[in-house]
Order: sequence, then C-alpha cells, then structure tokens
Amino acid sequence: MFKGLSLLILLLLSPPAHAENWPGAQWSTGPAVTGPALQALEAYAFPPRDDTTRQGIRTDALLVIRDGQLIYERYAGPTTADTPHLTWSISKSLMATVLGVAYGEGRFNLQDPVVKFYPPLHRHPTLTMADLLHWASGLDWQEDYEYAPLKSSVVAMLYTRGHRDIAAFTADHDDYAQPGQAFRYSSGDTNLLSAALKTIVGPTRYPDYPWAALFEPLGIGRAVWETDASGTFVASSYAYLTARDLARVGLMMARDGRWGDRQVVPKDWVAFNREPFARYQASQDEAVPGGHWWLNRSIAGSATPWPDAPDDTFAALGHWGQAMYVIPGENLVIVRYGDDRDGSYRHNELLKLALKAFVAKVQP
Amino acid sequence: MNRHGFIRRRPFYTVWWVLLIVLLGWVWQERVALWAFPDIISAYTAKEYCACRYVMANDAEYCHGYVKQWLPTSGFTDDAASKRVTVSGMGRSNSAEWVGERQGCRLKP
Repeated sequence: MFKGLSLLILLLLSPPAHAENWPGAQWSTGPAVTGPALQALEAYAFPPRDDTTRQGIRTDALLVIRDGQLIYERYAGPTTADTPHLTWSISKSLMATVLGVAYGEGRFNLQDPVVKFYPPLHRHPTLTMADLLHWASGLDWQEDYEYAPLKSSVVAMLYTRGHRDIAAFTADHDDYAQPGQAFRYSSGDTNLLSAALKTIVGPTRYPDYPWAALFEPLGIGRAVWETDASGTFVASSYAYLTARDLARVGLMMARDGRWGDRQVVPKDWVAFNREPFARYQASQDEAVPGGHWWLNRSIAGSATPWPDAPDDTFAALGHWGQAMYVIPGENLVIVRYGDDRDGSYRHNELLKLALKAFVAKVQP
Repeated sequence: MNRHGFIRRRPFYTVWWVLLIVLLGWVWQERVALWAFPDIISAYTAKEYCACRYVMANDAEYCHGYVKQWLPTSGFTDDAASKRVTVSGMGRSNSAEWVGERQGCRLKP
C-alpha cells in the first residue's frame, strides 16, 4: 500500500515522458547554455558594430528555441525583444504558411491554375499554384536589388512603377519559359500568390486573414504586414515580427504544422514546403527551394548548401541577413535578424557554431 | 563622293554616329525603366525610413543611417504628427505614410 502510494505521488509529480513545451503568452525558458562554444558563436554573430560604415556581420537579434523553450536570446543595435523587425523575404515563407491554412480549409489545390483566382493572369493560363510556390512561373522577372537598379523588377515593384498594384505589375511580365519548367527566384511569384489568396478566402476575410489564420492561433501579438494601395499584402517583402513571435512559426513548422492540439497547417502542406522542387539545378541559389521554404538538401549528388547542418534543416531567408532556421531532428529553431550590407554573413557558419553551442553531443 | 569614301576619310565621325544611334536605340528600348529610375532613391528612402521609424520604432538618428544609399537625397521632412515622410532626390519627390498598427507604412501614389 505504501509502495503503491509513493509510486502514485511520483507519477503525479513527474512530467509525462512525452510532454511537449509550448509557449503561452510568453516563452518559458530552458536551461541556459554557457561556455567556449557559445563565446565562439557570439564572437561570430556579434562583432563590434559600426553603424556608420555598416561593414561586416551586423546581427540585430539571435534567438534559439530548443524543445519548445527559449534557451538563448541576444539583441544588438536598436533592436529589442519588442521590435517587430522587418523580415524581408522571410515574408514569402510566411505567406506560404498562411496559404497552408487556406489549403487546410479545402479552398484550393496545388494544381489549380492561378488564373482561376487572379484573372489578370489570362495570358498565362497553365500557371499553377504549385509553380508559384516553386518560384517557377516562367515569368521574365529580374530579382536584383542594389546592383542593377535600372533593370530590377523588384525595385520597380516596391518603389516605382509597380508599388500601387504589385500583382498587376507582375502579371504584366512576359514569359521566358513554360510554367513549372525552371526555377527563377521571383518576388513577383510570391505576390501573385498573395493576390490569389484574396479570391481564395474572399475579399472580406482577406485583410485580417494572416492574423486570424496564423498569427492569433499561435499567440503572435505584434505582427505588421504592409499592403499595396490595392490592399494586396506585400508578401514578398514586408512582414514585421518580433524575433520571439517569428520563432513561434518556426516551432509550428518543426512540429509539422501543429500548435498544441491544433493542426493549424496540414501535414501534407508542410511536406510539400519541405520537398525540393524537382527542376531545381544544384547551385542555382544559396539553398534548395521547396514550396516557398529553403531546404538543406543534396541535389543530384552535390553537397548540401549548409554542410555543417543536418540535412533536415530548412529555413525562411530574407535580404540583409534575415533568417529563421528550423532543425526538426534537433528540436531547434533559430531566428537571426540582421542588417548585413556586405554579404559577409554565412548561414553555414552560424549554423555550425550554433549547433556546437546548443546541441553538442555528450562526450563518452 | 561615295559612302565608303566618307567612312575612310571620316572614321571618327562614323564611329561616333554609330554609337549615338545605338545609344538612342537603347534609350528608346529602356524608356519606361529610365523614366522611373530617378524615383527610386526618394521612394526607397521615404518608405524604408517610415517603416524604420514608425513600424520598428527605432530612433530618428538610427533610421537616417539605416536608409543611407550611395545616391544622395536633397529634401527630407518627417511630419511626426501625421507620420508622413517626404524625400526628394534626383529631381523627384516621394512620400510614405504610416497607415495603421497592422498595415504599417505605404508609399503615397
């Protein structure tokens, strides 16, 4: 009797073996990490910062979630835990995740022609939702930012000829290839998805849809998502979240689209996000495109983009060094915001040092 | 006087004329992009400054450094009451305005 009672008390006091941590209004904190590996990571990510020359690696925020708990965060420059930081092209993966909620509602299929939801694409009748998610529209888009401003489609879309109606500006481009045949990274492709979503969920729900579908269920308090004058979300570039809030999306992705008991995004949608685009050729970009997320996968026997990180690593990446890395096998989510202006930052280096600091294997 | 004679006697002029025609052809082909080009610096500066200041809530001094590019701007006004930023450069002027908590900043048409 006494033995049975003590066993019962023990069972009541100890957490169940498979208990998962999920953040409530705030992240709970896990065991803090210290030591030389962390110092090496900090030396890489946070060298002395010069806001005048803007040279070198300029991390604004670095935050690490392990097993659903916050185990590290540090901010620099003007950024704090409360700053909704510009994510640039991380917005693209966020839009893909918002679309995943609509997909879970049964509102569209991957093989649907986009023209069904966005009629100005009538010149491109065979272009599908999957093609856009693979950045394979075949539209003759020029993505360069600073180096070729005259010819840059993205500069024209954000600042000059396209900013009033980003989707119409994109749809006006000619073809250079058949849809679905070739990868070419394009902010325009993402904004066509954003315009399609307007019809997919209806114009009444659309203005609040990212919040109702994704941000609020995950407890994300402060998200900003700018629109063009026609009300279309600038899904290519202009979502702003705190590092802590962005990591919530990462945790959901690490757990196959589930948040607590709720499957916010269907598992098969996340599987599509994480499946390499079959027509992608090795080294076309800095990582392997899946369904609007970036993958650390080997293509045709080539090295993985980030050889020091596990193959299951995937990421949302943005201009000037914005990154969220998700490593499901290590239960790890890393958010890194930056203001890198010279391209010296390396994803692989950050990942290598972070893995050493936070998941170093116990020596036998 | 035939054409070949002209090219032989005036090779410099001939090259000059060919280059000019090629240049004019390029200008015509790129006329839309060239006409839009001078707007980039003022529109970029107005939009990204507005977001730096009113979405990310960074201080004004930092935001001035944040938007600095190799092209110069001339006029700059930030009307804190209406959260409206107007910038001039390369002979054009553009404004961006904070429109709301969720919608952030937007370039004015």
